[in-house]
Amino acid sequence: MSKVAIITDTNSGIMPADGEALGIKVIPTPFMIDGVEYLEGINLTQEDFFKKLADGADVSTSQPSPGALLELWDAMLKEYDEIVYIPLSSGLSSSCQTATMLASDDYEGKVFVVNNQRISVTMRQSVLDAIELRDKGMNGKEIKDKLEEVKFESSIYIMLDTLYYLKKGGRITPAAAALGTLLKLKPVLQIQGEKLDAFAKARTATQGKNIMINAMLSDFENRFGGIDAHDVHLSGAYSYDLEKANEFKGEVEAAFPGYEMHMDPLSLVVSCHIGPGALAIAASRKIHV
Amino acid sequence: MANTIKASDVKKMFLAGASNLNAKKEWINELNVFPVPDGDTGTNMTMTIMSAAKDVKNLPEDVDMGSLCKSIYSGAMRGARGNSGVILSQLLRGFTKGVRDYDELDASIIANAFDKAVETAYKAVMKPKEGTILTVAKGAAEKAMELAKEGAEDLEPFFEEIIKYGDEVLNKTPEMLPVLKQAGVVDSGGQGLMQVLKGALDAYLGKKIDYTIDEAAATPVASKAQATAEVDIKFGYCTEFIVLLSKPLNVKQEIDFKAFLESIGDSIVMVADDEICKVHVHSNDPGLAIQRALMYGQLSNMKIDNMRMEHREKLFHETQNGVYAEIDTEINGAAESTPTYNRDDDIPLKDQTPVSEKKAEPEFVNSEHKDIGFVAVCAGDGLAEIFRGLGVDYVIEGGQTMNPSTEDILDAASRVNADTVFVLPNNKNIILAANQAKIMMEDKGDNKKIVVIPTKTVPQGITAAINFMPGTSVEENEEGMKEAISTVKTGEVTYAVRDTMIDDVTIKQGDYMGIGDNGILGVGSDIEDVTAMMIDKIVDDSTELISLFYGSDIKEEEAAALSDRISAKFSGCDVEVQYGGQPIYYYIVSAE
Repeated sequence: MSKVAIITDTNSGIMPADGEALGIKVIPTPFMIDGVEYLEGINLTQEDFFKKLADGADVSTSQPSPGALLELWDAMLKEYDEIVYIPLSSGLSSSCQTATMLASDDYEGKVFVVNNQRISVTMRQSVLDAIELRDKGMNGKEIKDKLEEVKFESSIYIMLDTLYYLKKGGRITPAAAALGTLLKLKPVLQIQGEKLDAFAKARTATQGKNIMINAMLSDFENRFGGIDAHDVHLSGAYSYDLEKANEFKGEVEAAFPGYEMHMDPLSLVVSCHIGPGALAIAASRKIHV
Repeated sequence: MANTIKASDVKKMFLAGASNLNAKKEWINELNVFPVPDGDTGTNMTMTIMSAAKDVKNLPEDVDMGSLCKSIYSGAMRGARGNSGVILSQLLRGFTKGVRDYDELDASIIANAFDKAVETAYKAVMKPKEGTILTVAKGAAEKAMELAKEGAEDLEPFFEEIIKYGDEVLNKTPEMLPVLKQAGVVDSGGQGLMQVLKGALDAYLGKKIDYTIDEAAATPVASKAQATAEVDIKFGYCTEFIVLLSKPLNVKQEIDFKAFLESIGDSIVMVADDEICKVHVHSNDPGLAIQRALMYGQLSNMKIDNMRMEHREKLFHETQNGVYAEIDTEINGAAESTPTYNRDDDIPLKDQTPVSEKKAEPEFVNSEHKDIGFVAVCAGDGLAEIFRGLGVDYVIEGGQTMNPSTEDILDAASRVNADTVFVLPNNKNIILAANQAKIMMEDKGDNKKIVVIPTKTVPQGITAAINFMPGTSVEENEEGMKEAISTVKTGEVTYAVRDTMIDDVTIKQGDYMGIGDNGILGVGSDIEDVTAMMIDKIVDDSTELISLFYGSDIKEEEAAALSDRISAKFSGCDVEVQYGGQPIYYYIVSAE
């Protein structure tokens, strides 16, 4: 049986230190803040990040450098036969494409890059699934195929506290453009598969949270076999405001009886475009061996 | 006198009815229960009937009954605005259905047509209320039927009896609607209807129409209303002109100009685009308005009328769509006179659609076709901008002071390149006209559909627009938006135009009033205090956001000061201030 290593990046919400406990490797996402490079989870905490963001710092993100990635792969391949690499959704970043390209050269049959459109808590779930599959004896190719089988079976709704960062970033333009208004709105965005788009708008947090919960209830009904099927993982994410997040967790769990919502801080790649105070609800299909 | 009337008689009678209503419109406006500056029942009914009168006037003397009826009802339907206007248009529609197949009308046919009119009008209103124009119409119809059954033949006593009884019912309206009784007025829509009937009777009797008669004496109303009616014209000259701007007005100039006009009169309408500015003001010194306007450019299309001498008032100004319509108060020879309306069609304002004589396919405001588009009605450039920002394709800048007609709404919807057009009336007095536009759109049968979201206030309209979910079906959106509008509470602050009493609150002329979704929420002599008082009543524990939309008469600093005061009081709520630019209403506030 081949020995399979699992590697992800910090967009999964799993920090390098947490990775050790899970027996996996986590490559940090690099950030440039006012011209200085930081690595998520290494020398940049959530606290520092939001402070700098609030101060109006010039923040930009990039994918892990190919050099760092190859170095890690090489190191791991000394110990392992195969690697399953789970990067951020190809719909939101080119890191998946870069990794796929790198893997196709000299790593054919050794590194399997998973392209299953996940981010944050749904990406974290994929990592946990990969660990489970590996422990059940699957090889790299089988794990990749299994994870990609449920590629489109996830759904995320994110309510932003403000449009400011979305506009400032200029990166998520189609969504931002649809929301050009004088009014202060709390936009609700959605990620279905690889597409990030505007979903709805609200004026107050309560309205926005209700929109997200109702949209997810409807997804459960129409896509995931109903609440009672228990065939999905329900999870949540937030940027910066833990208190609001816990309140939201209570509201979601009341609307989805029998589910426990795992809640993570949103990865900084996302936070940098949506700012603090955002809340998200996510669901992804369970995998079956 | 004769026992029957012909089409030519009906034509004269209709025009005389319309004229009489036009002459009495300011007075009918005064009968509004809420003493708000835009109590506009008389104006709305007049604009509705004038839309028909314009068409009717140009019909030949020997017109047949069918063509006359068609002109009356289609003109009224298109021009219908305001609730009372829509009801009047339905009465006319029903009446014409009852007479259009006859060359000559006798008492029995007329009685049946009255009955048909009432039946049609009741159907148009979702929850008919007694003590209104409907009740007065029903009374008149019942009397007509009773007389016809008794074998009435001579039309003169027949008409006189109907009118006498209609007045009796009108005078009972305060007993049926407590708000009327407290305000000391009869129903304004009912009064408008009686004026139409009286004008028609005068024409039948061959009277030279005389508008100098003492209105209060001529038509019995409750005593307090008489007192106010006699003093109703505060500013004597109706002054209108167009300024050909030497350069576009900036926001400050526009606000200053408007403030100046307000300092010399009332009933101000000022609409500007980059090239021209239309001005309408009632003032005792029209020269001041003209001198001031000369600062901004040359003047054209000037018209000044002495409103105190109402028989001279020939000009009827449809401010919303820029059409001037004139109706001769002289009935004889009306057909020969040269129509003078449409004279400024060659300089239409941006974003405004000349309504009449528009046969060509409308140009779309959005080039890309979509499933669902939006039309919203509001007054104020700030509010219009907010609606556009929310994705509304076409904003009809009418609203409280200038209720758009059914045709304005239909026309706006036609200009939106979409299969379904959601209409946000944003005023309870526009919902009926919007519903009528929906029906007319269905009648056109070109697969385009109007869906009216019955928004009664601007904040409700904003909420509806925000809750639109692209990519979701029309039905789901309609349901979602209707549900969402119930979550927002609105309060509006304006001033009282006369002394009155509503909900047991005594209101003095000139007081500021805060009006909520269900009545008066605050009265006083300080705008800020009244607004704060009103906000106290619409905010509750579940409120997260208070939005203040300040009007054209409020300075930014004043709005900011009020916002600070509100923020300090409700620390748990977000307070958002936006420039609305609406006339008449100093603040429109929402809590959600």
